[in-house]
Amino acid sequence: MPPELLRMIITAVLVVAFVFLNAMILGYMERKVSAHIQRRPGLMEVGPHGVLQLIVDGLKLIGKQLVVPEGASPFLFRLAPLLSFVPCVLPFVVIPFSRKLQAVSMDVSLIYILAMTSINVIAILVAGWASNNKYSLFGTFRSVAQAVSYEIPMLLSLLSVILITSTFSLKGIIEAQKYYWFILIQPVAFIIYFISGLAETNRAPFDMPEAESELTAGFHTEYSGMGFSFFFLAEYANMFTVCSIATILFLGGWKGIPLPLGDYTGIVWFLLKVYGLLFVMIWVRWTYPRVRFDQLMTFCWKYLIPFSLANLLITAVVVKII
Amino acid sequence: METATVTNGASIELEPAVDIPSSCNHYYLNMGPQHPSTHGVLRVLLEMDGEYVVEAQPVLGYGHRMHEKMAEHKTWMAFMPNTGRMDYAAALPYNHGYVSLFERLCGIEVPARAEYIRVITSELNRIVSHHLWLGAFLLDLGAFTPILYTFDDREQVLDILEDVTGSRLTYCYYRVGGVCKDIDDKFVERTRAFIKRQRERFKVYNELVTGNIIFLKRVEGVGIITPEMARRYGVTGPVLRGSGIAYDIRKAEPYSVYDKFDFEIPVGKTGDSLDRYLVRLEEMEQSLRIIEQALDQLPEGPYLGKVPKKLKLPTGDSSFAVEAARGELTYYLVSGGGDIPYRLKIRVPSYSNLSVLPELGKGLLIADLVAAMGSLDLVIPEIDR
Amino acid sequence: MHPATEKLVSDLQALSIEARSCDFAQRGYHLEIDLEAGQVRTLAECMLKNDMYLVFVGGLHVQPATEVIYQFASFEHPCRVVARAAVDGNNAVPTISDIFQGANWHERETRDFFGVIFTGHPYLKPLILAEEDADLKPLLKSDADLKESGAVRWAPPEEPAAEKKSPNADDKKTEEG
Repeated sequence: MPPELLRMIITAVLVVAFVFLNAMILGYMERKVSAHIQRRPGLMEVGPHGVLQLIVDGLKLIGKQLVVPEGASPFLFRLAPLLSFVPCVLPFVVIPFSRKLQAVSMDVSLIYILAMTSINVIAILVAGWASNNKYSLFGTFRSVAQAVSYEIPMLLSLLSVILITSTFSLKGIIEAQKYYWFILIQPVAFIIYFISGLAETNRAPFDMPEAESELTAGFHTEYSGMGFSFFFLAEYANMFTVCSIATILFLGGWKGIPLPLGDYTGIVWFLLKVYGLLFVMIWVRWTYPRVRFDQLMTFCWKYLIPFSLANLLITAVVVKII
Repeated sequence: METATVTNGASIELEPAVDIPSSCNHYYLNMGPQHPSTHGVLRVLLEMDGEYVVEAQPVLGYGHRMHEKMAEHKTWMAFMPNTGRMDYAAALPYNHGYVSLFERLCGIEVPARAEYIRVITSELNRIVSHHLWLGAFLLDLGAFTPILYTFDDREQVLDILEDVTGSRLTYCYYRVGGVCKDIDDKFVERTRAFIKRQRERFKVYNELVTGNIIFLKRVEGVGIITPEMARRYGVTGPVLRGSGIAYDIRKAEPYSVYDKFDFEIPVGKTGDSLDRYLVRLEEMEQSLRIIEQALDQLPEGPYLGKVPKKLKLPTGDSSFAVEAARGELTYYLVSGGGDIPYRLKIRVPSYSNLSVLPELGKGLLIADLVAAMGSLDLVIPEIDR
Repeated sequence: MHPATEKLVSDLQALSIEARSCDFAQRGYHLEIDLEAGQVRTLAECMLKNDMYLVFVGGLHVQPATEVIYQFASFEHPCRVVARAAVDGNNAVPTISDIFQGANWHERETRDFFGVIFTGHPYLKPLILAEEDADLKPLLKSDADLKESGAVRWAPPEEPAAEKKSPNADDKKTEEG
């Protein structure tokens, strides 16, 4: 077996394993954090402090039947969860967890990640369309409009960092933060990116596509079993991707105070930062009410985009002068 | 009449929407009977134009039990437990109205202590009901956390009420001539502790919810009920008071010993969902005030008056209105003698409050419709009876 | 009597509707009105003009004809009015749902339970009952139970003072324990 092929297989297995592990960690974290925010113990039954609950939940979901509703398009209905899941796995290939731990080093890794995460919209579109359910369709309308809109401020805010580093390579961006993190010189870009990230991953208070009290469960209303869990995995994988980009671009990636862990120091710092941001995402979700859909769009087009454009312009001018 | 086919295969005829040109692409959305924000088995058939509601038509009766027929087949005392099973969130005012109706009809004296106990427990029940509403309303707006905070508080009251009434939800505590169990010092002590705790909790609610910009943007100016509209529909309770009309049966037709307490009727200004929210929060505070005064004035004496063993109803009709947690509850009894009512009409507040929805919902976004419906504080078993 | 109530009574009198005042302490309402089916809309319009709101519309199955009961009250002053109208020969009364929109559902409910037709109602379909139960009319009395309308009219209780002195006073018990 050629070493390159072996390397690919190992990467694929590790990445998929990490996606599942991440979903379990995040699922547990979300339920525990929300429980403590709501002053209740949360998971307690399976394993110590319920740590094994997510494994049991996973088995339950695997054991369930995927019911294809009457009138739905069976092929598209089954395709959508996979379409959602696969692109969410791919960004992990290029994410530099530490100086040495990166499966593929690409010069355009940032563009690659952004391209991959955008495919998720198509999956939601297919899921909502194929379900033959009006609530799903509703969720789809919202989701597509929302994802397309929020991609703009997201990209613009990232661009202002790229202007400084002049590279799309994630490693290059981290190396550029030798003396300070970019959050210090680009705080506006960070905030805009993080808000857009919340919207991109359909997290509350921007969880329009799955707004429970309005649309029951939005685009995945009709999904059960593994169909549902793929969307669930994809959402958590997406959250991880969004937060890791934030970490890489604004928080210095794997950089941090040296720990007595040798080569593992970088990965520990990286994961700490990413899960720290994820904690904030969960915290926001369990604290705020949901915004209304038109307010969501107004917020994007009237505030986020002008601010990110202004930020980009100022950055460009400053970079040119320096 | 056009026929809308909804996803579950059932069909229902709708009133044609008059002011919308037929060339528009409308579609029907079946909200309920199982939907997270209809709070029970209410179904609202929506004619939608994109995200906008063109026509909202509630379809009732999924939880219909025909309480009024049951009343005609049981002795009046045997019907008593039914009264606690209409409004599951605030059953004691329903008990209160029912027993008071017979006391009024038969001219039965109630000992002062019993009246005070009734007021205290009714007001506790009102607070419980508002707790439930507050949590559920915010859940409708997508805030998941407040409901657990309010349920935490609700538990405190339910524990207090459970000790004295024996049940936590569908109470049957009052009797004609009094109440069935006396309250003790422990009850008084726990209630006082609860009042203190609840006052602290209002600060938590205000910090978590009332000042939140997202919350304000969701409810301000949403679902406005004008006083004139409220009159045409017979809207009562906090919904009416949110529209700026200070009408409260406890003040307008003081029953029991409500005339002995000093409390205010909170009113809103514009009649939007925010006003209804603020009115209910303030009402909880006013209920605490009433309880506090009642505990201070609580007289000694019997808790159950002398009542004939077999109460024979005089012929004729009588009406009794009480302020339930959601508005005016009226029992209208027609008796032909004997001890079985000839006809008992139960006017429930949510029924009239919900009937505003077709007019209220016109032109709202679906998210606003959910917010407006949440602010009406609907209890569906009460509507369906 | 509150001045606004007096005005209401005189307004009604001008429309040749007689309102009798009742003892609130016993009956729970202030004014009592008996109507012809044809006067229902006149009454409702007068009520709306006098700033009353509709509490409920209900039915009452009695001989010789089913009665429809309207209750109105006021937000501003203590005044509660009960009006009864016997249905006409076609088992119908005119609708008031265009005057008080709240009556819409109450009338549909009364139609469900008693089969009373509200002429002019925009949408007289079953509301509480299911469509297939449209002819159930659950609150209609069986012939054995049906009473004359006079038998359910208010009759002052036979000297409650005398009852207290009656021999079965010994049976009175408090439900203690």
